[in-house]
Amino acid sequence: MSTPEPATMKVSAQRPSPWRNLSLVWLVPLAALAVSLGVAWQAYSSRGVLIRITFENASGVVANETAVRYRDVAIGQVEELGFTEDLSKVTVWARIDKKIAPYLDQDAAFWVVRPEVSTRGISGLSTVLSGVYIEGTWDQEPGVAATRFEGADGPPLVQPGRDGRRITLRTPSGSMISEGAPVLFRGVEVGRLEQPRLTSSGDSVVVDAFIDAPHDRRINSATRFWDTSGFSVSFGASGLSLDVDSIASLVAGGIEFDTVFDGGKPVGKDTVFDIHEDEAAARRTAFARSQSEGVSVAVAFDESVAGLASGAAVRLGGVKVGEVSTLNAAIQNQSDEPEVRLIAKLLLQPSLMGLPPGAGETEVLDFLEQAVEGGLRARLAAAGLLSSELIVELVTLDEAAPARFDRSAEPFPELPSAPSDLPDFTATAEGAMERISELPVEELMAQAIATLASIEDLASADSTREVPAAAVALLEDTRALVAAPGTRALPAELNAAVAELRAILTEVQQGNAVANLSAALEQGSQAAASFAAASDELPALVSDFRALAAKANSLEAEELIRSASRLMNSADALIGTEEARDLPPALTGALDEVRRTLEALRQGGLVDNANATMASARGAADAVAAAAEGLPALSARLERLVAQSEALIASYGARSSFNSETLDALREVKTAARAVSQLARKIERDPNSLLFGK
Amino acid sequence: MENPEDPPRFLTAAEAGLTGCRTCGAVNPGGAQTCYSCRSALTPPSAYSLQRVWAWLAAGLIAYVPANIYPMLRTTTFGRASENTLVGGIAELFSHGSYGVAFIVFFASIVIPVAKFLAIGYLAVSVRRPATLGSHDRLVLYEVVEFIGRWSMIDVFVVAILTALVQLDFAAAVTPGIAAVSFALSVAFTMLAAQSFDPRLIWNAEKREYE
Repeated sequence: MSTPEPATMKVSAQRPSPWRNLSLVWLVPLAALAVSLGVAWQAYSSRGVLIRITFENASGVVANETAVRYRDVAIGQVEELGFTEDLSKVTVWARIDKKIAPYLDQDAAFWVVRPEVSTRGISGLSTVLSGVYIEGTWDQEPGVAATRFEGADGPPLVQPGRDGRRITLRTPSGSMISEGAPVLFRGVEVGRLEQPRLTSSGDSVVVDAFIDAPHDRRINSATRFWDTSGFSVSFGASGLSLDVDSIASLVAGGIEFDTVFDGGKPVGKDTVFDIHEDEAAARRTAFARSQSEGVSVAVAFDESVAGLASGAAVRLGGVKVGEVSTLNAAIQNQSDEPEVRLIAKLLLQPSLMGLPPGAGETEVLDFLEQAVEGGLRARLAAAGLLSSELIVELVTLDEAAPARFDRSAEPFPELPSAPSDLPDFTATAEGAMERISELPVEELMAQAIATLASIEDLASADSTREVPAAAVALLEDTRALVAAPGTRALPAELNAAVAELRAILTEVQQGNAVANLSAALEQGSQAAASFAAASDELPALVSDFRALAAKANSLEAEELIRSASRLMNSADALIGTEEARDLPPALTGALDEVRRTLEALRQGGLVDNANATMASARGAADAVAAAAEGLPALSARLERLVAQSEALIASYGARSSFNSETLDALREVKTAARAVSQLARKIERDPNSLLFGK
Repeated sequence: MENPEDPPRFLTAAEAGLTGCRTCGAVNPGGAQTCYSCRSALTPPSAYSLQRVWAWLAAGLIAYVPANIYPMLRTTTFGRASENTLVGGIAELFSHGSYGVAFIVFFASIVIPVAKFLAIGYLAVSVRRPATLGSHDRLVLYEVVEFIGRWSMIDVFVVAILTALVQLDFAAAVTPGIAAVSFALSVAFTMLAAQSFDPRLIWNAEKREYE
């Protein structure tokens, strides 16, 4: 039995190259290393830029948590918080995305976004839950990257890089403007105001405003700004007017601007605009334009210039040609005693003086020199009737004291002045007041009271109360007169008479009774005349009425009542007189007479007579001829009668049926007369026709 | 006659002309290429296998660096995001008074990985150099490292569970950071390093030392 012999193993030391047997597993750590290094390098290379922002306070900002955002996208994170060396401010170190960092030049602004409620609305609500963050804004152009920034209190009113123009406004008082207030152009918001600040001297407030493009092009030297904040109440002839611009500008204030004249020039970057009180004030300055355009001359006044202020008008012939720019006193050592003179500097506008366009200082001075030769003087005048303000008037005085235009005077050419003829307003006013106080006001009042008392007495007197009753009685009497049967019968009678007349005229046309007709007409005329005479009484009654009215008007009450009674008595008497009552019968009688005459004419055998005359045709013709001779006279009388009748009818009054009937009748009479006239003429021409009926 | 002072004399498998299978433990005849029992490849104990140990260990170390630098967790609560690294999280837990939790997290994510790196490194070195620890002690050490390796993943599990559970949109959300991946890789690499180590080398070294 053999025991297994352990195999002898040759274990030789291996000495191959360590590289040949290198395990592939080594690739794993290499790969891990490569990946780690790669990640590290990438992390390092893409690591943001550390910037430093200082804030007044950094409430809510937490290191490694608070984000830095741009347009609401996180671009970095706060890494560390600290203080400035003097502990006056909080320093925030934040790491900003490398790609963004180049844009952070000095224009960049940072602020902490917190929930905020202001006149412009509520903002930052999202930060209530998520915590505050730092918002930044900058322009879109990469610039010289900066790493130190001053944090702002809030978002800038104007985003950096926004198109537009920043202008500076100046105002004496900043009470009505506040940061963020709108800048309006014709009521449209085109910009915003920034934080108002005091000038170093403290005498005015300046505020920057940013006008957005493209509205910034409207800003030029002709632009004027005015305050539209609050509201204005004005009371004038047109009533009470309340003017409120917008609620926003009511709360936060607002500035409006407009171009107040044409031809404004572009303005430089540092131009400062004034904020005027209101639009009217802003537009008034359109006159001033730029100081360089005017020509300055000085005027020394020997009298008090109280009431003359800088900006007062200078008028030449009533037209404003310039204004007073400054007023100051100057001491002149003309004689032994120093004399204080008041020098007003006038700024004259060549274009307003009628000088050709482009006229410069020389032309203006030439003109003035010439005008002063002709008596032109400067003097003070009142700006208005009651105003105590003064203006400077350039007037040509005939008897001006000789003076000359001192062109070489320093600092400005000097215009001679003349004493003003300002009325002493105070004295005038005193005189007026005295005269007013001398008026017998008390007496006037006493008289007025007495007058009123007597009027009251009169009104309450019994006799005054009786007047209406008497007037009613008078009217009733008048109505009774009109309603009397006689008066009513009158038109019928007249109608009958006219009918008769018509019948007669028909007969006249048939026969030859010219002479009788003439006589009848004579009688008619007489009757009409007597009728007219009777009617004349009526106008007298009317005139009495008028007199009564006139007397009543003259407030002599007692007399009025008395004469009213008298008038009524006389009216009664008139109506009661036999004459008035007989008037209709008289007329009737007259007409009856006419009718009787005409009947007599008809019954009197007119035709027989005509036939009888036919026997001697010749003689008849002669008679007709003779009668025809009298025809014109007859016509004239007829015309007269008609006129008389018409007058009668007119006096009778309105267009009653009687009236129209009468007119018809008279027209018929006229026609008949004309027919008679024609007949006569025909007979004259051809007497035989009378005989043969043709 | 045995002298207790003398180092123990023993027979290695190689000396006995045998090869042990590392997978199933079956004893194969020397020179066999595959295990007759489990068919896995039979490798003789070789100092070159240490290369793999070193390589995995290096990879684990490399991965452990970002696991500590980068945030492990990103917690978003009401829009506020906060990121926590391993050490930062532990410090925060500690400052909040959660000493127990802080200790567990500290132990699992700092002490154990670091101890593993040291242990594996020591084992690998001790194969070549005279060791201060006895062979048996080193074997125990190796077994402890092997055993404990899988528990190192506890951090990664916590992150994974938190991420899956806390997804309440706006109110609160947890997302894993880069460190979680790095840490998982580091643990995996360390486990591989431990596995790559051939404990037979301990005995080979012992033998060589004795001779």
